[in-house]
Amino acid sequence: MSETSSSAHDPEPPIRLNLPPLSPSLFDAEPSELQQPNGSAVRNSSDPSSPTSSGYAAEQGSSTATIVTQVEEVLHNEIQEITIDDPQPLSHSSRLPGKRHSDEDDASISWRRRKKHFFVLSHSGKPIYSRYGDEHKLAGFSATLQAIISFVENGGDHVKLVRAGKHQVVFLVKGPIYLVCISCTEEPYESLRGQLELFHGQIIVILTKSVNRCFEKNPKFDMTPLLGGTDLVFSSLVHSFSWNPATFLHAYTCLPLAYATRQAASAILHDVTDSGVLFAILMCRHKVISLVGAQKASLHPDDMLLLANFVMSSESFRQDFRSIFSCLLATVQCFGISDDTYLMLLTTSSDAFYHLKDCRISIETVLVKSNVLSEAQRSLVDGGMRVEDLPPLPYSGSSHLGQHRLPSDSPERLREPDCGIGGAAGLWHFIYRSIYLDQYISSEFSSPINTPKQQKRLYRAYQKLFASMHDKGLGPHKTQFRRDENYGNYFFVLGSVEGIVLLCWVTQDFELYAAFDPLADKALAIKTCNRVCQWVKDVENEIFLLGVSPFSW
Amino acid sequence: MGVSSNESIQLCIFDLRRGQNEGQELDKILFFFPAGFPFSKQLSVIGLSEALITFTRIFSPEAACEVIEAELHSHVFHEAEPDIWMVMVVEKSNDSEPIWGDDALRKVLKEIHSLFVMFHGSIREMLEKESSGGLTRRHLYSFIMDYLRACKKQSPWDNCCCGNGEVAVSNDFLAGKKLLLPSFRDSLKERGTVQMLTISREAAIEVQSLARVLESSAGNTLCYSLILFQDLLVSTTLSPADTINLFTYAVLRLTPHALSSGSSSWSYVRKGITASNAASESNMTHPNSMSESFYGSSDISSGEDDYYHVVRPLQSDKWSKGKDGYLVTDLWGAEVGTWVFATPTVWLQQTGEKMYLCVYQHRSLTLMLMIPVSSVPNGEQGVAEVRQRIIENASLKILKVEEKLSKGWGGENAYHVSGYRYLLVDGDRNVSRASPATKVTTLTKESLLAMNKLRQEVELEKSRAKLDRCNFEKDLEICVRAKNNAWVISRVTRGKELYMVLEKANETLLYASDAVEKFSDRYAIGVLSLVWSIVFFHAQITILIEKTIFSLNEKVFLKNLEDFGLYFYSFFIWESKILLPKKL
Repeated sequence: MSETSSSAHDPEPPIRLNLPPLSPSLFDAEPSELQQPNGSAVRNSSDPSSPTSSGYAAEQGSSTATIVTQVEEVLHNEIQEITIDDPQPLSHSSRLPGKRHSDEDDASISWRRRKKHFFVLSHSGKPIYSRYGDEHKLAGFSATLQAIISFVENGGDHVKLVRAGKHQVVFLVKGPIYLVCISCTEEPYESLRGQLELFHGQIIVILTKSVNRCFEKNPKFDMTPLLGGTDLVFSSLVHSFSWNPATFLHAYTCLPLAYATRQAASAILHDVTDSGVLFAILMCRHKVISLVGAQKASLHPDDMLLLANFVMSSESFRQDFRSIFSCLLATVQCFGISDDTYLMLLTTSSDAFYHLKDCRISIETVLVKSNVLSEAQRSLVDGGMRVEDLPPLPYSGSSHLGQHRLPSDSPERLREPDCGIGGAAGLWHFIYRSIYLDQYISSEFSSPINTPKQQKRLYRAYQKLFASMHDKGLGPHKTQFRRDENYGNYFFVLGSVEGIVLLCWVTQDFELYAAFDPLADKALAIKTCNRVCQWVKDVENEIFLLGVSPFSW
Repeated sequence: MGVSSNESIQLCIFDLRRGQNEGQELDKILFFFPAGFPFSKQLSVIGLSEALITFTRIFSPEAACEVIEAELHSHVFHEAEPDIWMVMVVEKSNDSEPIWGDDALRKVLKEIHSLFVMFHGSIREMLEKESSGGLTRRHLYSFIMDYLRACKKQSPWDNCCCGNGEVAVSNDFLAGKKLLLPSFRDSLKERGTVQMLTISREAAIEVQSLARVLESSAGNTLCYSLILFQDLLVSTTLSPADTINLFTYAVLRLTPHALSSGSSSWSYVRKGITASNAASESNMTHPNSMSESFYGSSDISSGEDDYYHVVRPLQSDKWSKGKDGYLVTDLWGAEVGTWVFATPTVWLQQTGEKMYLCVYQHRSLTLMLMIPVSSVPNGEQGVAEVRQRIIENASLKILKVEEKLSKGWGGENAYHVSGYRYLLVDGDRNVSRASPATKVTTLTKESLLAMNKLRQEVELEKSRAKLDRCNFEKDLEICVRAKNNAWVISRVTRGKELYMVLEKANETLLYASDAVEKFSDRYAIGVLSLVWSIVFFHAQITILIEKTIFSLNEKVFLKNLEDFGLYFYSFFIWESKILLPKKL
């Protein structure tokens, strides 16, 4: 610490760069005699004779010797001097056991090669959260991020994005909280930024906005302890960035249910909203069964996503089926009803605990008597819409989601020439988003999108398409056809080069995203999209929550 | 960003190997525009750049920082030579023309650097020759300032501030004027590519024969030639990279149009520039004496200073046509004790050879001949002999070719395809063709913005595919129907790119893709492959044969063809048998 203070408190006006030094020797191959067996050499920072004692990873009078570090928080006692010589072969470090790889830090090659990092830090440079590695060990790194952000801010600007090769560094400043994502996943900037917004939203859901006040009182406020035990919430959220379309569509999805069943559920919820409850949301995993809100109350689909994520990933929810947390808008009380089904009650009054408890009991009683829970369970098993079931003619049946499964040898099934894989005309998958309902429906994954990797790749392709369609400056485009012979290079493994055709329609009422076989015929694909839209409209009272307008903006 | 000021653009070059000790930071800076910028601010721009280069290398050691996007500024990076970085900072104005593609800006940086290297050799070599860096700074300063002037809107100012330079050069240049940078309006253009003239087969044979005569004028030495008609390339025997450099230079300074600047004759490049975006050059701060001496800007004005001769090849109005048809310039100084101007020299990127550059012009035809300096033992006298020989041997051919090309020339709108606004790029050979600029300007701003956006998306995909180092070239097709109902289309296949805007098109996707199909069938494939097969191949085959004539066998020959990317056109050789030695 002591040897760093000379450079950390430079009285000079900021003519020179005020960034903590990053050593070019990060890339030097010189072996360090102090290397630990595990490859990352750790030196005692209090050793004044150490040539690396000038600060965070700065050494040997190299380029960084002249760079002044201004950030005093950088160099805590807790920070170990780190040299970055890592003689280990790269392959050695690809995957390490353990949930968060807390043995890693920015000196580890394995850490550097992670595909997607999330960092949360305070405006004073204190690490709050890192997806990988131990926050304490990353204090120096965190200070670097802070320095970059504030250096730019001092110039009257705000840094948004840094791109280097396949890597993107995305910055988001939310008051005293800085969020940074470093990723080589090829996701568009807009998507990554949206993910940081959600990340911040999740913090606020957990800690409420009073966090900002704490920072006002004490800039060095350490919020890490407050987030103790919430790792699962964040890792679950980060995970949802690679499978849950709600994270970029800004819409929610419903559990497919017969119209009458959902009506029944809504009726039950409706009773409690008259008694001071702002919102009553009955959910099954990440899907909504029903939702009833008091008049003029509004809840953004993103908030629902964050609440559901919190509930689904919280230990407490699993253990005692009850959780109280307050978020920006209201106190939320959550009750587990069955393994997958839970009820969330939102209220503005903070002392409504007992009242909510009563509400919950009454709702639970009625639910158990009705068939809602069993229907929900059945729907989970049956799944949602499948591209194989796309009706060839205007749908008129009454089976579940119009699934009129034909025997595999039925001649009718063979009528479609292109349905060898997936649905008609090479249709692989689709997402339909109803604009005024704020809801979407995504078809179930079917062949050839079988593996999680393929699903993730498709998800990323949709994400890219969404960003491309919804450019901020240009307003939404109307149509997009995209044929890519090798999409999602990120997952490129020899022999798995795969093409795809994506079609997107944006109208005033809905958005349709559809994925096809790369050889799909354009004309047929367009016809198929029309059929999908028709199909969705035909079954909309099963797949969407109609008749409520919870989002009154 | 990082610098609060009203500057709309900054451009700097710095060397990470220099100025590593405290107090010597200034030594890093090799160039900074505007030169009057306070050193503290210059260092702050460079410090941020340096920090981010180091930072991004943590995660991406193979490709460091390319761009920083902030709310108000973009920083575009280009590592021109190992550890020598060029960074351009542009302000994102919120006025009517706000959009820059960082890729287009990077191409400007690349162009500056490769032109510099063509005339002066690499920056690193220059720095190694003199540790103080003073000479390098002088060279960079005068070169880049001349370049920026060349990129400016044509105005009377040009003539008064770029002449034989008073001290005013460093103070007044660009004053109150607009500096032109690529904008979304250039989204149907591609910098760093060559535009070619489509010619008939007979004409191609004539051109070919002319090129051979030119190149054989210097005896047995291996020369290279470049032939332009108007501002379009007709023939080249140089490598693609050298071709681009010399072509760019020719269009900037040598073609009839460039010589008569201010004339209204047609040019791809000029027209483009007038339609380009303009960033106002706001800082009128006179460089303080310190920065003047730092960059030597007060010394370079006469093109020559006390110690060194700084050649300024981009200075405008320095070339003129002599009576014998050769273009002459005093930019390279004069032979000691005589009034004979020294022959310009260039470095070829591919061979690393220093070449004399002789330029001959007859009407719209510009001939450029590159003769290895090493092969002309008696210097200027030897070059003069070659020039004389060309006049003797080639005059007739030149007349004939010019006549033929003029007859076949379709004029300004020769490559306009009605209903389409397009850009075709062949990435392998760095050739592009686009709708005439006058036609592109009829497009609405919305369409151009959408195209600009689409191109950025495609660029990103392409660069990622490249980084994957997979052998699969990007094969991608995107058709977007924008908010204003225009179709904005991009097709990338095997290194060839087609971009297209259809404004008055039917609303169905099928109609749009049909239109693209028709275009590609008729023009894209037809036009481009014909151009290359005839022109490039004729020109390059000559070289090939001359290079391999003694060791020639069929296999080697075909291998070499492949190296030139000409494998698929080889059938043409067999058929026409123009150039093949009997051995084959």
